[in-house]
Amino acid sequence: MIDRKPEPKIDAAFELRLRERASAMPAGMKPARARPPTVTRRSATDAPALLRDVQTWVSDAVTRPLEDGDTRDAERVVTGGPHLSATDRLDLYRWGYHARLVECLADDYPAVRHALGEDAFDTLCHGYAAAYPSRSPSLNSFGRHMAAHVRANGGAHADFLEGLARLEWALGETIHAPPAPVLALDELQSFGEAEWAVARLPASETVRVLRFDHAVNRYFQAFRDGDAPTIPEPQPTATAIYRRGFTVWRMDLTPAMSGLLASLFAGATLGEALSAIVAHAEDANALAEAERNVMVWFREWVAGGFFARVELGGR
Amino acid sequence: MNRLGLPNLGVGVGLRTVHYAHILETTPDVDWFEIISENYMQTQGRPLHILDQIAERYPVVMHGVSLSIGSTDPLDREYLRELKALRDRVGARWVSDHLCWTGVAGKNTHDLLPTPFTDESLRHIAARVREIQDFLGARIALENPSSYVEYTSSTMREHEFLAALAFEADCGILLDVNNVYVSAFNHGFDAREYLAKIPYDRVVQVHVAGHTRHDTHIIDTHVGPVEDDVWELLTDAYRRGCTAPVLLEWDAEIPSFDVVHAEALRANVAIGKSARGDAA
Repeated sequence: MIDRKPEPKIDAAFELRLRERASAMPAGMKPARARPPTVTRRSATDAPALLRDVQTWVSDAVTRPLEDGDTRDAERVVTGGPHLSATDRLDLYRWGYHARLVECLADDYPAVRHALGEDAFDTLCHGYAAAYPSRSPSLNSFGRHMAAHVRANGGAHADFLEGLARLEWALGETIHAPPAPVLALDELQSFGEAEWAVARLPASETVRVLRFDHAVNRYFQAFRDGDAPTIPEPQPTATAIYRRGFTVWRMDLTPAMSGLLASLFAGATLGEALSAIVAHAEDANALAEAERNVMVWFREWVAGGFFARVELGGR
Repeated sequence: MNRLGLPNLGVGVGLRTVHYAHILETTPDVDWFEIISENYMQTQGRPLHILDQIAERYPVVMHGVSLSIGSTDPLDREYLRELKALRDRVGARWVSDHLCWTGVAGKNTHDLLPTPFTDESLRHIAARVREIQDFLGARIALENPSSYVEYTSSTMREHEFLAALAFEADCGILLDVNNVYVSAFNHGFDAREYLAKIPYDRVVQVHVAGHTRHDTHIIDTHVGPVEDDVWELLTDAYRRGCTAPVLLEWDAEIPSFDVVHAEALRANVAIGKSARGDAA
């Protein structure tokens, strides 16, 4: 059915939540335990001989799961210090590694973190880091597998959390998307009715249409408003994420709106996409409302930069 | 002027997202900004848009965390291409990174892991620095990182390695006096002795920052104001011949821009002490 026209929601504050790197250790990392400094002096033959071997050993030690106990045989490779043992010194890097990645994922997925609670989120992130270690110089893309990870590891609410993760990732993707030409309102008015029927409207780089099994955007908005939302019951919803200038917006979509956009973004002509709405409309009133509103929708979508251009005469 | 011919830009501040609006709206009287290179790579959105505006108004220097100069993995050509494109886009005065490695076998820890100070490391890193400098068409600077471990295989001290590397690779040094302080505590060496051995004609930039002190170690968190002990190391470096511009890094619990800038400007007091011969 057709709901009232959804209101777009601004996400300007989100833009301050960009993943920012620093040449420092995370301030919130767990301090090392104090143990007696190691006094053992190994002969040089005990240590890995080549730089590559040292790096491989250290990388394995630093990225090992936190629950995997102490770093064994650390004294072979690193020395004890004035106040900490070799193991404790190496564990500073291990704690820093995990704290940094959890911090990164918490920046990318604040609502998922809220929904799960801090401890469960941290556990989820540690599993994520083990399953999807970073292989990029940038942390911008580190969290891109979270939706799949949370679907497999999110427990009773995995379906909802998967949708919420997709929404939060889409917000980040939209922020970092390149500026690209979009269809302007003036162009919209330059086409005749016959041309519109065969027009294709491919998606711009800065729009995403997401469908969910729950009211994910409503939950996210409540979280953003500082409320304490509870995980909602299943309910099909859809939301558009888009960028106007450099500000990111969210717009809830009715089934007719999301169906129309999905068809257009899949390459259907406007005529084909509208016919699909007619075929799937659940009742006559809904269809009539869609027919009345479709031009309003298009004006808003064009103003929001949803479409890259108009294509006439085939794909 | 240092051996690399790079200018003393004055006292700068690390550019952070929480200050974007203030900087663009008020154009504060800051000598220069340092950016973390990776914050503007693999993105085409708002961060670059903001940076373009700031680079129009201020000198900008690039400081990276992912070059991984010490890694035994091959150099990341795509990363270098993007680094060079960003350098050219914003007209960065120079590019720096850390004397460290961040990962191996393709896995990135995103940490600044110290390198063993051996002849093998020296040859390996010097060759890579030369290759990068050829690619960029300019000399780079490498920073001494804060470190929490030393290697059983090391045969040199960090300052000896850094000086030898700068000579072998003909590159610059970014001297972080907070990192010297942190590492000196963690490893039990004398920070002043370290500073005495630095070839200051190759120091193109100095970092100062806050840190977090625990009973048994100090963590380089870049939080809070710079401790007096670190300011005194800056004075000591200048007394020993440093002429490089100074930059404050503040990365956690970041206060207003005016507070950060005021803290950075304390560098002028520390440098002034060196000129007057005050006790450091």
